[in-house]
Parts: sequence; C-alpha cells; structure tokens
Amino acid sequence: MRLIQHHPGLPWPRLQRDEKVACEFCDAVQSAPRLREGEAAFCVHCGELLYQNRPNSLSRATGFSIAALIFMGMAHSFPFLSMSAAGNRNELTLIGCVEALAADDAPLLACLCLIFTVIAPLLLTTALLYLCGPLMIGRALPGAKQVARALQASEPWSMLEVFLLGFIVSLMKLGDVAEIQFHIGLAALVAVVVSIAGATGGIDRRELWDRLELANAR
Amino acid sequence: MSTPSFAADQGLASCHTCGRLSPATDHHCRRCGAKLHLRKPNSLARTVALLLASIALYVPAMSLPVMNVSGIGSEDGGTIISGVITFWEMGSYPVAIIIFTASVIIPVLKIVALAWLCLAATGKVGGTGHRLALTYHVTEIVGRWSMIDVFVVAILVCLVRLGTLMTITPGPAALSFASVVILTMLAAMSFDPRLLWDRQRRTS
Repeated sequence: MRLIQHHPGLPWPRLQRDEKVACEFCDAVQSAPRLREGEAAFCVHCGELLYQNRPNSLSRATGFSIAALIFMGMAHSFPFLSMSAAGNRNELTLIGCVEALAADDAPLLACLCLIFTVIAPLLLTTALLYLCGPLMIGRALPGAKQVARALQASEPWSMLEVFLLGFIVSLMKLGDVAEIQFHIGLAALVAVVVSIAGATGGIDRRELWDRLELANAR
Repeated sequence: MSTPSFAADQGLASCHTCGRLSPATDHHCRRCGAKLHLRKPNSLARTVALLLASIALYVPAMSLPVMNVSGIGSEDGGTIISGVITFWEMGSYPVAIIIFTASVIIPVLKIVALAWLCLAATGKVGGTGHRLALTYHVTEIVGRWSMIDVFVVAILVCLVRLGTLMTITPGPAALSFASVVILTMLAAMSFDPRLLWDRQRRTS
C-alpha cells in the first residue's frame, strides 16, 4: 500500500489517491476525493453526506475536549442551584441526583442517570482527547482503536444537553414554591454542553479513522 | 448521471464503525477491528422486536405515576399526562407543550416512523428513498430528547426533600419511560437504512 506523506498541520490526507467509499445510506460505491478544509462530500446517488473535512479538526477536538474536562470538574464541584424552603436547604448536582434516586429505592434509574450524565460524557471527552491530542504530532497511543470504538459507542448516550433542558423544565415546575439561588456550577454545566458539542462536531469520523490508520502505519 | 455500482454487488462490505471498504469475505475490519457485515445483521427482526418491547413498556409509562408527591397529610401520584394537564390549566403553556412533545409526541411518532420504515424495507408500503432517509434521520436525532422527563424526575427528587412538608420520590413510570426511550434508540440504531435503497433497486 502506498501512503501519502503525512504532515500533521496539513488538511486531512486521504490514504490513497484512488480510494473508494460506499455511502452509508444507499451503499453506492464512489471515489473519495481529497477535500480542502471546510468542504464536504455528498453521495452521487442519494445525496447523503459522505464525509467532511472540518477546519482545524485536530486542534478543535483537542481544545474543546480539554475545555469540556475542566468545566466538567467545575460542574461536579459546585452545585447548579440551591433551594431553601421551610428551614431545609437542598443543592442540585449531577451526583446528587444519582444519590437521591438511589436513596429512594430506584437503583436502576440512578444507574441510568449516572451513565447518561456522568460516565458517557466523561468517556466521550477523555477518549477524544486521548486520540486527537497525540494525532496532532501524527502519533497514536496504545489501544487507540479500542478507544475510538468506545468513543463512538458512548456518543449517543451522552445526554447532558437533554439534562439541561430538563433542568429548565424543572425550574418552571418548581415555580415560586421555594427560594431558589443559582450557583457557578450551572454556568459550568452550560459550558460543558457547548464544549462537548464543539469537540464532537470538530472532527469527522472518517477523518479520525484515516488519521489513526496513518499514525499506526508509521 | 450514470447508475452507480453498489458495494454489496461487488462483494465489498463497508465497516459500520469506521467506514472502510473491505472484501465481504473478511470477518473483521482491517482498520478498526469491528465485525464486518454487508448489512446490519437481522436488522429488521431486531428493530421490530425492540419496537414491540418499547410499545409494551409505553403502557405502564403512561398509566402509572411518574413521581409521588407527599406533603402534609396528603400523598399524590401524578402520571405524565396529568402533569401536562395541570400545567395547561395553570397557564404554563410552554412547559405543558415541552413535556407533551417529549413524552407523548416524540416516542409515538418515533415508533410509528420506525415501523413504517420496516414495512417500507420489506416492500409493504411505498415511499421514495429520499423521504424515507429523511424520516430515518429525524427519528435518530430527535429520539434522545424524550429523556427530558426522566431528568426532570431526577432533578425534582434531588431538590424537593423537605421532610414532612413536601417530598418527591420517583414513581414506577419513570423507569418504564426511560426504558421506552432506550429501546427506541436501540431500535433506530439496529435499523439499516441501506435496506430501503436495496428494496428500491430491486423493484425499479
């Protein structure tokens, strides 16, 4: 197999000049042209997106995943809001939700909540950082294939943005029952949601795998 | 536009995980190590089974209380629908609409859409490939947002623990509803949209 010289700073190199791709939606085989940054390739048969070359994909994915991890630390250290009523004061955190569900005899629900709001987002961002950081100098760390597969598996189950909408709905439900105070954790949670969107949208799946294959071939 | 050739006809399998084309005789993808299939295995059977399971769980999710509110001398378990009605009567239309959309419209439409796609893939109902592909995209993107209800329960359970004054505990419908969302997400993942185009190719 002839490899094109890989330069980390350059836009995404395809492996071979005559490489073919099959559309994931209609299975039509077609040639896979190299794209300039910001361009996208669409299927000639059904018009679905085949792949795209995201601008500064590696630095974007790396930067946003580092940001997401830092904000995640903050979102876990500070409460989103606190509520005082009748001499009681309760604070809302992600782990607090899980603990409350577990304490109220809903262990399965607590596990699901833990997976969707804590484990999957954490797995997603650490995996992306583990892959894209070293790829910036054209390297792949050991176990990169397994990590990349775990990354793809965790993606649909990371639901912090849904949690955020649920949070807004809950606020309206609480209404003026109690005195509510917002805390810095809420800003951190919003920042995590934005950073995760930036990190996962920053790099195309095919680009990630192509770059990993090149890095492994070195 | 000339008629393109299709990977399956050439004996090529495109990897579900990384998108690389490999000969279908290989068992695992050479690039990412995932199992290779021409099409997702038993796609229709799996999708239908998961859909049936989600329909079955949708019944308790709607009829049982989603959370129990216990206050001074009173205990009240409201279902999802009764919550929507309460909000509507209180005049909180946005909340009522969000909850109604997330817990009723999206899951029902998703189940109907996936069932329709399964029928279309077996040729029982018609529909152009483009429109069916759009249906598939929408079900895939929108499905996860139904989880809102479950998170609302989790947040309220965490916040509203005021002892004897007012305490909210999760009801049995919360877990059923979470299962409905998970099952429909799995059903959408196990459906292979290429079957729709396969069908169109065979009939045209």
